[in-house]
Amino acid sequence: MRPITAVFYRDYRQRMTNIGFVFWDLFVPLAYLMLFGLGFERMMAGSSVIGDQIPGYTAFLLPGVLAMVTFTVAMNTSWGFFMDKDSGIFYELLTYPITRPQFLIGKIGFSVLLSVIGSLLAIVLGVVALDIGIRWDLLPLTVVIVVAGTASWFFLFSMVAIRLQRMDAFNTVTSAAYILLMFMSPMFYPVVDLRAWFRTVAWLNPMTWQVDLLRVSMLGTGSAATLWLEAAGLVGFALACLALASRALNRAH
Amino acid sequence: MTHAIEIEDLRKTYRSKSGTPVLALDGVSFQVPQGRIYGLLGPNGAGKSTLVKIISTITPASSGRAAVRGFDVARQPLEARRQMAVVLQQAAAENLLTVRDNLLIYAYLHGMARSIAEKRMKAVAEEFELGGRLRDTVQELSIGTKRRIQVAKIFMLDAPIIILDEATTGMDPLMKRRVMDRLRAEARKGRTILLTTQVLSEAEELCETIMLINRGRTMASGTLLELRKRTAHTFRVSLSFAQTNGELIGRLEALKPLELQVNGSAAELLFHGEEASLLGKLADISRDTPILQFEVRGPTLEEIFVSLMRDSP
Repeated sequence: MRPITAVFYRDYRQRMTNIGFVFWDLFVPLAYLMLFGLGFERMMAGSSVIGDQIPGYTAFLLPGVLAMVTFTVAMNTSWGFFMDKDSGIFYELLTYPITRPQFLIGKIGFSVLLSVIGSLLAIVLGVVALDIGIRWDLLPLTVVIVVAGTASWFFLFSMVAIRLQRMDAFNTVTSAAYILLMFMSPMFYPVVDLRAWFRTVAWLNPMTWQVDLLRVSMLGTGSAATLWLEAAGLVGFALACLALASRALNRAH
Repeated sequence: MTHAIEIEDLRKTYRSKSGTPVLALDGVSFQVPQGRIYGLLGPNGAGKSTLVKIISTITPASSGRAAVRGFDVARQPLEARRQMAVVLQQAAAENLLTVRDNLLIYAYLHGMARSIAEKRMKAVAEEFELGGRLRDTVQELSIGTKRRIQVAKIFMLDAPIIILDEATTGMDPLMKRRVMDRLRAEARKGRTILLTTQVLSEAEELCETIMLINRGRTMASGTLLELRKRTAHTFRVSLSFAQTNGELIGRLEALKPLELQVNGSAAELLFHGEEASLLGKLADISRDTPILQFEVRGPTLEEIFVSLMRDSP
């Protein structure tokens, strides 16, 4: 079996031992869309905060929910490094004939599959239950952005999980990241009318790049000039995180 | 000729949590020819596991060179990893998976095809008495069984080098014996085995060449015979009398043995010194209290180890 396939198979077998965990990975973003989305839709009825191009708050939130799927799945998969450390298999894995990047890429395989399934479920829910119109012609691009986002976040959190020895420290980091990266981005609200320092932080946040790209591919909104920059930024971020996570694996001793 | 394992002037310095450098390996060199069982013996913290981690590409050396079958572990880590199957000191098993998945996934991760892995898995499971537990999840099993799975995994592969870091720790004696027999058989087939242990009898029984290591330095190395020559003036004497009493024990103690054990009518003494002089003194004792049985043996590995440890700086 090829190295990446073997790592993918291992991860699949491991994650499927806990279906509940997989369910929550997919369910939480859908709950956000239905509960948070509908609540704010009602509250913001007639408001111009989200602009004229987007028909309602749930349509505004849907691309953010897809980004949330990628973020949550990646975070929970990288948590698996602590299970490997606890069982002692982590260091043994480093002696197997697999390069560090192959190991990391194999590990995102199952996460990517989950993210794509979660994203498609969110889209179907949005279209069928919330009557959101999306750009079906750009669906392949949406899938590419979901894959790139999952990889980016997984490599980022893997680097943290590999470097940290304690699971509680990892949980603290991910909780902080959850708040900062998701709420300092246009995932839940537009940032254009917020204070300058907040807008600057948001523009430097890779979550902003991912959400903006998803709004283009799903709703057809956004400026072409900044989108290319954001696309390049997201790819660069993914590659940089892969390099840093590989380096962390090389120094994992 | 390329050796299976070549270690040249290997040094490793760690930085402790307080920031002070700790020398874990201090210029260790050795070669292991193909098909040999080579033992690294030393107390806790001697540097054995650090050496294994460097050879198995987990950690880089600070300086020096390590190569397996000609592949430099620092420059060609992937090629080096393809040459070996490693059992680390820490118990390692996929706790959430079944025994079957543990064996199969290990083989897949080493590039084995599914059909071959299935056949091997059945054979290895039978050999290691895991056949009835294939569907059990590993986290439900005892530590000893987990260790058995960990060791069984390496026999799923044909990697030319097997590295075992205190691999038999926690195993029951019968399984330990089976693993040792299997390792001997693998060495006869040409596989090279490097093992670290603190169990001296295991090294004595299994290893053709032994390196004694302490505080990151090589203290001695060679075959058991060669190591015995290093402690040529240390020997063990077994004596048997009709009966022992306080006076006799006092006379034996006066010989200043390193160790004296009296058990009923038998006495065991460990000496360091000139054999001829001791035999003369024993002959004097025998005139008053006849010695019924008398045996002189070279030191065991444990005695060599203790003697070298005592002399090390």
